[in-house]
Amino acid sequence: MAEDIKMAKMAKTAKCACEAAFVGLYACSGGSNVGQMANRIAVELTKQGKGNIMCTVGIGGNVPGIMKSTEGTDEIIAIDGCPLICARRSLELAGFTVNKHIILTELGMQKNKELDLEGSEIKEMMTKVESAFDI
Amino acid sequence: MKIEILGTGCAKCKKTKEIVEQAVVELGVDAEVVKVEDINAALDYGVMITPAVVIDGDVKIAGKVPSLDKVKEWLAK
Repeated sequence: MAEDIKMAKMAKTAKCACEAAFVGLYACSGGSNVGQMANRIAVELTKQGKGNIMCTVGIGGNVPGIMKSTEGTDEIIAIDGCPLICARRSLELAGFTVNKHIILTELGMQKNKELDLEGSEIKEMMTKVESAFDI
Repeated sequence: MKIEILGTGCAKCKKTKEIVEQAVVELGVDAEVVKVEDINAALDYGVMITPAVVIDGDVKIAGKVPSLDKVKEWLAK
C-alpha cells in the first residue's frame, strides 16, 4: 500500500526515461491571459499524458537539474502566449533546439492583463493547439 | 564523495547504478553510492526526468544512462 502511494506520487512528479519518447513542455507562464493560458495548456497536456510540464524559468536561471533534465528530453515543445516568444528565446539562448513552437495569439487569442481563465476559453484553446500541432 | 542515483528502480536506473559502481571500483574512489527512489528528492535538485546522477549535490546527467567513461571523467575531477 505504501509502495502504491509512493509510485502514484512518482507518476505525478518526475518521469522515468524508460517510457516512450519524453516530451518536455515549456510554457512562458507570463503575466497576461495568454501567458497563464500557456501554462494551463502545458498542465492539461501533461494530465493527458501528451508531454511533461517542465520549469521554463529554470532554463533562464541556468539551474543545473533543470538544464540536465532538458538535455534528457527527446522533444521540446515551447508554448508561448504572445509574439515576444520568451519561452522559445530562453530555450534557444541556452542552446536547446525547439521542436514545436506554439504561440497562442497566432491561434486567435487576444492578449490582455486578465489572469483568470474561463473554462470555455481553456477548452477552445486546447482544441486549437491539439489540432494545429497534432499533439 | 557522495553519489546519488535518482530513479524509480526501472531498467535504465539499475543500469546507471551498475555503471557508477563499476567506475567507482575501477578508479578506486572512496565514494558512497546511494540509490534514491523518492522522486520528490529528485525534484529538490530540479531533476524532472530520471535516471539522474548527482555527485556531491551537483547534477551530472538526467534522463540518460551515462557511459562508463563519462562517469570516470566526473569522478576524476
